[in-house]
Amino acid sequence: MPSAAFLTRIAALALLSATAFTAHAQDRQLVISDWGYSNEFLIPNLFEPFEQEHDVKIVLETGNAPDRLNRLRIRGGVDLIYLTDVFSQQGIDSESFAPIDPALLSNFDDLYEPAKNPQGDYGPAVTFGQYGIIYDTAKVDETITSWEDLWRPEFSRAIAMPGFNTTSGPLTVLMAAKRVGVDAFQDPDAAFASMAELEPNILKTYNSGSELTNLFTTGEVYIGLVQDFAFPAIKAAIPTVEWAEVSEGNFRMMNTLNIAARSENVELAHAFIDWQLSQKAQKDGAVALRTGPVNKAVELSDEEAAQVIYGEEQVMGLQSSPYRDLLDNRADWETRWNAIFGQ
Amino acid sequence: MGADTITRTNRVTALAPWLLVLPATMAVFALLAVPVGSTLAESFSNPLGVFENYRRFFASDYNRMVVLRSFWIAFATTAIALAAGFFAAYLIAGSGPRTKRILILLSVFPLLTGVVVRSFGWMVILGRNGILNNALIELGLINAPLSLLFNQGAVLVGMVYLFLPLMILSLVGVLETIDQDLYSAAESLGSSPFGVFRQVTFPLALPGMVVGSILVFTGSLATFVTPRLLGGERQMTLATLLHEKAIISFDWEAANTIATIMIVLTALSLVALGMLAKRLSPKGRA
Repeated sequence: MPSAAFLTRIAALALLSATAFTAHAQDRQLVISDWGYSNEFLIPNLFEPFEQEHDVKIVLETGNAPDRLNRLRIRGGVDLIYLTDVFSQQGIDSESFAPIDPALLSNFDDLYEPAKNPQGDYGPAVTFGQYGIIYDTAKVDETITSWEDLWRPEFSRAIAMPGFNTTSGPLTVLMAAKRVGVDAFQDPDAAFASMAELEPNILKTYNSGSELTNLFTTGEVYIGLVQDFAFPAIKAAIPTVEWAEVSEGNFRMMNTLNIAARSENVELAHAFIDWQLSQKAQKDGAVALRTGPVNKAVELSDEEAAQVIYGEEQVMGLQSSPYRDLLDNRADWETRWNAIFGQ
Repeated sequence: MGADTITRTNRVTALAPWLLVLPATMAVFALLAVPVGSTLAESFSNPLGVFENYRRFFASDYNRMVVLRSFWIAFATTAIALAAGFFAAYLIAGSGPRTKRILILLSVFPLLTGVVVRSFGWMVILGRNGILNNALIELGLINAPLSLLFNQGAVLVGMVYLFLPLMILSLVGVLETIDQDLYSAAESLGSSPFGVFRQVTFPLALPGMVVGSILVFTGSLATFVTPRLLGGERQMTLATLLHEKAIISFDWEAANTIATIMIVLTALSLVALGMLAKRLSPKGRA
């Protein structure tokens, strides 16, 4: 005879499929794919208000970028996807996204220029971030004022930088090329020779923000090349860590929001993008999640503004990331990179 | 009861074992054979040629180095674990029942925590502000902390620590079964302690050494967390390269190819170790 536990399990399964069925049965549904890191905040503040306003059920699909992009491409069933610019470019290249119609976005004209059409006719940027240098001011005597300072001999094995296959990793090569006065794409030999000179100062290449936090808190490194989303955790652990104000400027990083080519809710998806670009959503994100607003009309207090990329001057002062060229040269660069950092 | 019923009962009885293993077999087939099969198939599906993915993989100096490094790390881990494990197992097998129980418990104790925790433990020990560096500075042996992490030494330390319990357990099993009288006989016939080891202990412990080596070698070849945490990109192995291709750089073709290479290499290593064991064992030579 089946045990009580077995029967309970069957009942639970039945119940679960029943609820799944009800969710399916609901008329309008919008499937949004994101990293999942900030959903605790985003669900009550961004997604639920949209659900009420548009009488639609938002279903979230979370995970890392390659995984989510692959699911969207192969399995489908996703309407909107948040990605970093490098990954959304890969989605565009594989014809996975539908073009955006700016006429359907009431907030479009309020966007900073770099956010409007960062990748042609596809999704706009929805947040700005930056990639730059942070360091423990208690351990560095002479302030870091340029990317070239990373090559100083006293920083032997003191630096952690993102690995090649991360969004920001290859950007370091651009600065290595600049240091020796060449363009990295024109003269990769010289650019990577300059990277090889940096090698003695690199303790480790990392792949996730938490890895870098660990390297800082355990004292393994005191200089990090980093995207700003990883900064607050490190700053909380080591209050003397600061951004270096480098003369060349930090790099501007973008997260984009795109509509899947196979989406059957294109109009509703546009409405959601517009919602995400609105002053309120942009300000909420800036204050709570420290993402740089892309909407010019957002007003932040000085204290709030200090945490993010904010204002025309800052946004335009950042170097843009040539992800198109980076993707085209990836295979060659990866071989060169591995020859230096994979030994 | 008629003859008919008996035949039917017999038929059901004959079928019963098959019916009982059916769900598990189906599960293994659906969850293991199908995904592994499709991984293998995918790696041969390059339109430019069946072996194109492999040609491309092995054309890269870096990839070849990663294969060699993975082998070297697995080999070194096995050798160190075998040497260290043998002494520990010998000591355990020769001690009284109470001490034996305590020693076995101590040697398998690391297995009770997860591999991530164990690797992190080594980061705490070997780190710049870690226990070892602090101790060396306290003792006045060094002035500035040494860089002990993110190199091959750190990976080997972590791997040996990870797999040593498996080796010890495999060896204790066989060493225990060696009849004490054999030692006495060998000694009474004038054999030196080394002679006893070479002619009695070693050949009889061989099956345990082979089992332990297979477990450690294949485990080290496939292990991902330890080289990732203690070695990083500088100590890339096949397992960490596979992770990087699949999860970070989105190159599933390469990931499938690496997965297939790992399966083949593991299978070949198993065959090779099996053949070696056969040659070395007294029965095999006879």
